[in-house]
Amino acid sequence: MSSSQMLKGILEGCLLSIISKGETYGYEMTEKLNAYGFTMVSEGSIYPLLLRMKKEGLVTAVQKELPSGGPKRKYYSLTEKGEEELENFKDRWKAISTSVNHLLKGDDLR
Amino acid sequence: MKVSSESREFLENLRVYLLASGKYEGEIEEIVSELGDHLENAEKDGKDVTDIIGKTPKEYMGQLAGEMPFDLKGGLKFLPILMLGAFSYILMGDAIRGQLQYSLIDLIGYPAVFLMTLFLTALFYKYLASNKIPKLKQFIVFGIIAATPISLFIGVIYLDDWLGAPAIHFGPAAKGAAIFISLLMFIFIAIWSKSWVSIILPIVFFLPEVLIGFTDYQENTKLMLSVTIVPLCIGIYLLSVLRMEKKKEKSS
Repeated sequence: MSSSQMLKGILEGCLLSIISKGETYGYEMTEKLNAYGFTMVSEGSIYPLLLRMKKEGLVTAVQKELPSGGPKRKYYSLTEKGEEELENFKDRWKAISTSVNHLLKGDDLR
Repeated sequence: MKVSSESREFLENLRVYLLASGKYEGEIEEIVSELGDHLENAEKDGKDVTDIIGKTPKEYMGQLAGEMPFDLKGGLKFLPILMLGAFSYILMGDAIRGQLQYSLIDLIGYPAVFLMTLFLTALFYKYLASNKIPKLKQFIVFGIIAATPISLFIGVIYLDDWLGAPAIHFGPAAKGAAIFISLLMFIFIAIWSKSWVSIILPIVFFLPEVLIGFTDYQENTKLMLSVTIVPLCIGIYLLSVLRMEKKKEKSS
């Protein structure tokens, strides 16, 4: 697994978490990611992921007219399967981050 | 959508890339408008296209395309019609020139060349849309793509001659029928595609030749006339299409 693939997996989990907070659209997601310090990924990289998540049935998307009357904007929300996947991700992440943190701190095993 | 010209160019190229990759048209419009919305917001915050897509356009387009399913049904609907159009076109040309004879080699060779050309053209558009290519190189590649089917067609004709494959000949009655069937096909395609191209192109290519054929000029003069008039008509047609496109762009 290359580092970019690992990053993709993590980014997917983070997107699931952001969307779980309520219906949102692409640009808002990247703003939140940036606010949490996710500057190592380019903003556009969320879209291939969103396409895949939609294909896998983790999220649904609807086009909505903007109140300003401009072009339509695409809003994403989590499906039940997406909620489950988010819980799975949280567990996986907890396990990985705990072991990595222990290892890096060099905690004594014995 | 109010975006910079760089962003608009990127979106336009993305559309071409995805279309040439055979993706669903509805899904293409969706992702293009979604990215347009994103770019519009990003530009308001002082970012530009390269900040958004990160990698090269080619890589980014490839990533998007990788997540989108291939529109097999659309392709299956589109391909036979395109093929029928191309064959009606060949049929009409041959009927007008009175060369209605086809061998097995022709019947296999023509569709093969046609499919290959289509494939090459799609590849060319993908390449053009995802790379920054200098004009001269674009021209050369385009020349190669355009020359390939012509040389392949000539190849088929020579192979045919060389093998001396038995050909089916058609008489004068079939000639009228062939022209009539071709005409019907052109009209059908025009209605199906809601565009005049399939009617205008045969007119541009064949009408001068037919008209010249009715005159009493010498064979040589006739040949000279059609060699000059046909390209002239094509040129005029292409220029007027270009001008109409430009007008449309300005008004939108």
